Amino acid sequence: MFNLLKPGTWFASPDPLILRNREFFRDFDQSKPLSEYTFVVCDTELTGFDRKHDEIISIGAVVIRDLQIDLGSLFSQYVKPRNLKHTEATLIHRITPEQLADAPSLEEVLPEFVEFIGNGLMVGHFVELDLGFLNTASRKLLGGTLANPAIDTIRMARRYRQMLLGPFCEEDEHSVSYVLEDLAREYHLPSFKPHDALEDAIQTAYLFLYFLKKFRKGGLLTLKDIYQAGRVGSLRY
Amino acid sequence: MAIKGNDVHVVAPEVAISFLKGIMPFDTLDEKTLRNLALNCRIDFFPKGTRILTAGTTELTHLYLIQRGGVKAFIENDNGVITLKDFRGEGAYIGALGIIRGTPANLNIETVEDTFCYLLPREIFLALIEKQASFAHFYLKSFSEKVVTTAYKELRHHKVAPRSSDDLYLFSIRVGDLVKTMRKVAASLTIQRAAAFMSEYQVGCLLVHDAVDAEKIVGIITDRDLRNKVVAAGLDFNQPVVTIMNSPVLTVLSQSLCFDVLLKMMTTGIHHLAVEHGGRIIGVITSHDIMLLQGHSPYYLLKEIRVEHQIVGLYPLAQKIPEVIRGLIGEGAKAGNITQMIAILNDHILGRMLTLLENELGPPPVPYCWLLMGSEGRREQTFKTDQDNAILYADPEDEPQRQAAELYFKSFAAKAIDHLVNCGYPLCPGEIMAINPRWCQPLSVWKQYFDRWVAAPEPQELLNATIFFDFRCGFGKEQLADNLRDHLNRSMKGQDLFLFHLARQCTETRVPLSFFKNFIVERDGQHKNRLDIKRQGLTPFVDFARVLALKSGLKETNTLARLKVLMAAGEIQTDLWSAASEAYELQMQQRLVHQLKQIEAGILPDNYIDPADLSDLERRMLKDAFAVIERLYSVLNRLYPGA
Repeated sequence: MFNLLKPGTWFASPDPLILRNREFFRDFDQSKPLSEYTFVVCDTELTGFDRKHDEIISIGAVVIRDLQIDLGSLFSQYVKPRNLKHTEATLIHRITPEQLADAPSLEEVLPEFVEFIGNGLMVGHFVELDLGFLNTASRKLLGGTLANPAIDTIRMARRYRQMLLGPFCEEDEHSVSYVLEDLAREYHLPSFKPHDALEDAIQTAYLFLYFLKKFRKGGLLTLKDIYQAGRVGSLRY
Repeated sequence: MAIKGNDVHVVAPEVAISFLKGIMPFDTLDEKTLRNLALNCRIDFFPKGTRILTAGTTELTHLYLIQRGGVKAFIENDNGVITLKDFRGEGAYIGALGIIRGTPANLNIETVEDTFCYLLPREIFLALIEKQASFAHFYLKSFSEKVVTTAYKELRHHKVAPRSSDDLYLFSIRVGDLVKTMRKVAASLTIQRAAAFMSEYQVGCLLVHDAVDAEKIVGIITDRDLRNKVVAAGLDFNQPVVTIMNSPVLTVLSQSLCFDVLLKMMTTGIHHLAVEHGGRIIGVITSHDIMLLQGHSPYYLLKEIRVEHQIVGLYPLAQKIPEVIRGLIGEGAKAGNITQMIAILNDHILGRMLTLLENELGPPPVPYCWLLMGSEGRREQTFKTDQDNAILYADPEDEPQRQAAELYFKSFAAKAIDHLVNCGYPLCPGEIMAINPRWCQPLSVWKQYFDRWVAAPEPQELLNATIFFDFRCGFGKEQLADNLRDHLNRSMKGQDLFLFHLARQCTETRVPLSFFKNFIVERDGQHKNRLDIKRQGLTPFVDFARVLALKSGLKETNTLARLKVLMAAGEIQTDLWSAASEAYELQMQQRLVHQLKQIEAGILPDNYIDPADLSDLERRMLKDAFAVIERLYSVLNRLYPGA
């Protein structure tokens, strides 16, 4: 009865994983040099973009440590959706229904993924979408959302273009592409035809590393600098 | 708990495996090993202009494999003069030598483009070297310690005049300066006529212009198109060239730096680009044209030789040697080191060729040794000299093996000599070649030959001795050559008569001392009034060193090395040694420069120097050099009175 008066008990208590996740970022320090952070570049594959009905069917992620992509720290997992039928209709061509039928459910995969990302900073290409789906699932399955700060490589790409153009130029947003593949080609990154979420994550990791080191060369040394540059967008090399 | 996946699909990303699989020598590893390697790799990004390694300072913790981009390798001497050594692009490695030797980086490495590298931990790389035969072979063979140290020492300490701008030609020369006369044909011309043009002009490609408007370039055809699209495809060569041309032509501006153009070629994989100036196409630039400039990086060439998988592929590589040497002379390297470098390059060509030939013919029935004689044996070749070679093989154990060996080496030698000719090493007019059955023999026969020559020093035997006794192992089982050398040295003991005759033959060459007053030069023939720097200037030193080397039972064949050992052993005095070494090297330098000039003028190199072409200083130096010959002769006279 008295418990009702205590806020926080109105909802189910979050999973220990989520509590630990929050603990990581309680006193998050943005002023350290970039090389001291661990980044987790992640990509999810979805049955569609509707957060109510669509589901995650694959998660891929790779870790960046010391500003190097660590090919030994990978996460790659198919996820069996609740509604396999629904999936078959809308399924992305590169995953077969059989692969999904054999895969574990998100209930099993998500805790493993939360464990994997640890205190890393999330990075993704249009990361909002991935995190949106992950947090919806996390709220439901673990009783809370992820506290990891996130960086969006699309935003970095915009920022980078603006830096190259200078403060007085406005670019016609329609004339440029922010599709991962197009950016990789534009900046001459090693590119490949990715065949799963993991390789998309790796491609994104290349892009992220590229921007990060370009920014760093431009004098943005800490995470805070990067974030601020993202807001202000007036820094030039 | 870093790696996830329910075994349904692979954990190591395919992209990483396919990258590793695409580069040597990783391509020899099995799938499992590659997968394991991939998981141990890290990927790093170095923006353009990043210094990755600093010579003598950076400790190597990883092997770098370039995935995208490119780096330059350079050294910097005490005065801050920079010498560009190499350019490395995608698939190349950085840092292997330092890891293997356990030393810091030996070169400065800086990115010239935005560069992504795979980083393979040092320990894992070393473990591969230890476990994988292909790895040890690939890397260890690539760093002949000699090559690396001699040349670098040379560059650091003997640079006569540092000319850094020469070395940075890639960054200073613009393609407009390299373009040769434009050759173009109309699109309507037949393929055959176009091919005839190409042979007439001796070019590997032609621009194709519009049938009506000759100014309008519409495409390009290359040797390769003729081969692939016409000959191999069985196309009618009366078709117009328009059917096989590549179109549109990729163009570069004439003011582009060679370096940028080279990069463009590397990234596009297209090696013939049209050069545009003021809106007009003025000609074609090929990767070959630029590579010729790059000729002065011996490491680059060695690398190419080592990875060549086809004997025919060695032909053009051998032709690059003069370019490499030109670079070294330009850098002021000393003659002794230059000839060493020539020997190393030639040995690599030979070694690679014979290895490939063994693959083709199967392993030899008995171990053998490819002997090099004469100037090759002494490591004193300048530019392309005649072949002087022979085969020495282990004594067969029985008759079937004897026959097998005879048959095998006969066809082996025939093919090898043929390939050498194609590489640009002319046949020996005296037929001192392995293809001659007399010079393709088992060890016991060689011993008999040598014994006979030493015992009966007739003119022919003496001549043989001057050529053959400078033998060394060019390729194969070195032990056989050592065995023969030991035998020769043993049988030479107490054969003073032979040495007496050898010494007399040596002193017969007149010393061209009166060089200034009345040139001692060839009196007749086409080389009238010219000095034969080889016969009159260099040979006396070579002969002198040989006589004393044989007398003292030395293993060395190189003249400078022989002189040095003789001095160390107290056979000649220190001041005579230093005077002789200097004089010899100086003349070698003269000869090299002379031949280089001839090659550049398109003349076949020879040894005849016109005294009128020499500067006063050069003449004085030559005169001093000739004076040393007299001192050598007096030593021989003391040892062999009356000779």
